[in-house]
Amino acid sequence: MALRELSSLEKYLGQKKANKYSTQGNKKVPVLQNNNGPPLVGLVTIACHLAKEAKRPELLGDTAESRAVVQQWLEYRVTKLDSCTKEDIKTVLKELNLYLQDKVYLAGNQFTLADVFMYYGIHPLIVDLAIQDREQYVNVTRWFDHIQHYPGVRHHLPPVVVLRNRIYTGRLH
Amino acid sequence: MTKEELQGATEEEQQAQSKKALKKQQKEAEKAAKKAEKQAKMASEQQSTEENDFAKDRYGVSPMVQSQQKLDRELVRVQDLTPEKADQLIWLRARVHTSRAKGKQCFLVLRQQQFNVQALVAVGDRASKQMVKFAANITKESIVDVEATVRKVEPKIESCSQQDVELHVERIFVISQAEPRLPLQLEDAVRPEGEGEEEGRATVNQDTRLDNRVIDLRTTTSQAIFRLQSGVCQLFRDTLTKKGFVEIQTPKIISAASEGGANVFTVSYFKTSAYLAQSPQLYKQMCICADFDKVFCVGPVFRAEDSNTHRHLTEFVGLDIEMAFRYHYHEVIDSITDTMVQIFKGLRDNFQTEIQTVNKQFPSEPFKFLEPTLRLEYTEAVAMLREAGVEMGDEEDLSTPNEKLLGRLVKEKYDTDFYVLDKYPLAVRPFYTMPDPNDPKYSNSYDMFMRGEEILSGAQRVHDAQLLTERAIHHQIDLEKIKAYIDSFRYGAPPHGGGGIGLERVCMLYLGLHNVRQTSMFPRDPKRLTP
Repeated sequence: MALRELSSLEKYLGQKKANKYSTQGNKKVPVLQNNNGPPLVGLVTIACHLAKEAKRPELLGDTAESRAVVQQWLEYRVTKLDSCTKEDIKTVLKELNLYLQDKVYLAGNQFTLADVFMYYGIHPLIVDLAIQDREQYVNVTRWFDHIQHYPGVRHHLPPVVVLRNRIYTGRLH
Repeated sequence: MTKEELQGATEEEQQAQSKKALKKQQKEAEKAAKKAEKQAKMASEQQSTEENDFAKDRYGVSPMVQSQQKLDRELVRVQDLTPEKADQLIWLRARVHTSRAKGKQCFLVLRQQQFNVQALVAVGDRASKQMVKFAANITKESIVDVEATVRKVEPKIESCSQQDVELHVERIFVISQAEPRLPLQLEDAVRPEGEGEEEGRATVNQDTRLDNRVIDLRTTTSQAIFRLQSGVCQLFRDTLTKKGFVEIQTPKIISAASEGGANVFTVSYFKTSAYLAQSPQLYKQMCICADFDKVFCVGPVFRAEDSNTHRHLTEFVGLDIEMAFRYHYHEVIDSITDTMVQIFKGLRDNFQTEIQTVNKQFPSEPFKFLEPTLRLEYTEAVAMLREAGVEMGDEEDLSTPNEKLLGRLVKEKYDTDFYVLDKYPLAVRPFYTMPDPNDPKYSNSYDMFMRGEEILSGAQRVHDAQLLTERAIHHQIDLEKIKAYIDSFRYGAPPHGGGGIGLERVCMLYLGLHNVRQTSMFPRDPKRLTP
């Protein structure tokens, strides 16, 4: 999973030659053997490294503040989202829905790595969501639909249908 | 124990008793004596006041009504108690909904069906102290005859349906006394879900309601639901009769299952067994073959499906229609949808009070429909679902969640809660369904939906004995068992179609309720056979 995400990121960054990765441990943490130094371990570390190599530092945020926000969401992705159980799903979606209420991207008005990896991570949750629930977390769905249509991001993931009109208006019926 | 031993024991006891205990005993005896004296005094006092009770013949428990007399007394209905009746002396019979004594006054709320009015018994030249006390002690739900003067009130009484008047009671007699403890409180049974939770007020769960159905049916909500249900039946009959339909009665004990056979109840029938009818299907069709042209039937139908869902019952009331048509089965669809629309209009125009009463406890959006009714083809529906991201095959049947989702999509696109889905895949319909002449994968069959849930299933039937035999063989049905049915079509049978509606479902979905048991007076399901 993580390796496919990294290779999708490479394609998005326009790297011609694909890196070779290995994994370590039960959790299959990705490892990148760097030619000029010690190996890089972990999804977020490698992703940040790839962005820097591709000379796209703005993907990590272009102000000190947004850099911190990007790091915070990348961390959220690997700590909270990746270990989230069925019961946690609602909490995560609720949290994210509230956060995205007044934002286009996770770091405000600018597309960053945080959007890419949160999108990859939340994809399986959104696929399983009933249409009624997708409508309930309308800000998450809007952001998700936007990112999946962002040029060059989707790659290995199937598209999710998002309805533009609200069909569950009013009360229960 | 021997006598001697017993004596010894008492002696020992006496010795053991200390002076203190003796004193205590004495004190207690004194107390008891005082109490007795007091009681005697009170009793005598009461007797004397009872003797002094000038209103003695203005209240009391009436002897059981055994039809000993024909009283020439008009009983006014609670709903007719309006300011026009002000200052009139009237009689009425009602239930005691609540009573609350406050010093020299006692307020009663008198209820009749879904209407209620406030009544007041106050000490004065008409009522005595004892009469007020008597009124306050009448148990809830007792039936009383009351003579009272109607008085206008200002401000309005918000808690009653008759807000502009109250009754000043002159006489009150209990006709039937209710037991003091009720299995459920009516106020709890009509409380909307979630309301009063902070105050720790109870709501009554459905099983308790159904176990004590007689009391639950007295609530304003139940009264309104079943008045509306009666309205649905009446509108159904009136509309169809106007269209030239004939009402028929069909047997419910039948010799063979009409469709399939897995989900029928078997009853022992003398030395053999019989089945309870799943639908009057065969008999409606036989009537068509017997030149009745257009028929309908209102009666019980039975399903032995072990499904415990919010919308399945084992016995429900079926409203069945069957009619011969000229050239196209859409004539049948139009006839049925027009009947449904007439019902919806009739409910909207004549049952507004009932709808609002139910809405108070179970809020829902008003029911919307189009004229003429929207008709979608199955392929269009599948396309709509696929567009919304549902993966399904062309000839796959609609699952319940997809059915509901489709209802939502249709509501969003066409703004209607009622629509027809036409041209179902032939494979998912019974053997007597007429195949589509243009595409043998589909059929001339249809379902009708209210708020995204199915209420009617119908089709053009095969009226040709030859084709019917073929279809039966295709469905691997034992031809011997349905011989009489197939034979009905051998002597000239007109093209015909029809459908069956579940009365309880129509009421449930029209009112936007969530459980079919709410619209069945005495529901039957796999787990409930009583009351």
